[in-house]
Amino acid sequence: MNLERYPYSVSNDFQDYSFYSDGPKGKIKKTVLYIKIREKPIIYNIAFGDVDPETGEINDDIISNNSDMDIVLATVANTIHDFSDRYGNHYIFATGSNRVRTRLYQINISRLLDEISIDFEVYGVIGDQQYKFQRNVNYDGFLVKRK
Amino acid sequence: MPEVKKVTAMDKSHSERIVADKAKSHANDPFVLKKVARAKEIVSKIKFPDYSIK
Repeated sequence: MNLERYPYSVSNDFQDYSFYSDGPKGKIKKTVLYIKIREKPIIYNIAFGDVDPETGEINDDIISNNSDMDIVLATVANTIHDFSDRYGNHYIFATGSNRVRTRLYQINISRLLDEISIDFEVYGVIGDQQYKFQRNVNYDGFLVKRK
Repeated sequence: MPEVKKVTAMDKSHSERIVADKAKSHANDPFVLKKVARAKEIVSKIKFPDYSIK
């Protein structure tokens, strides 16, 4: 993706990434975490959210509204590249913590689909089936895999 | 407090990466555990033609 993105730090196992969103609301720490959730085929879950400054724990219930969503999404995509460089081009599963959040992910994938599709295969999951991602279809979750 | 090293450069046009040796793992955060459990439930049902699930 040829979009602006933030620099980030990564744990030495390349599964835990952190960066700072920088906008009108100030600097907000965000974390992206990859955890293997299936073996055949290998699938990793991506967990993404703000880091609560009080507890240091991830929380994705917060809507930051820091006017930098595209930069944040491009940064997350960049972590997928970094992760895939290390672990291989496996499926990565994403879903929101609730239907509204999942819908928000869907809207943003739809909006940036042409850009995302340059580097990634994108699928939507409904029930026990995966489909090539299409705009205006509601999915339970999403699978992406670097080409 | 998390031990992840702060990235000081905020140049949005060039992505830079710092590998932090002492990064706090978020793998056991309640949100992550809940999300992974839900993801496993969804993903376990997906049928992949090239893989038989045992």
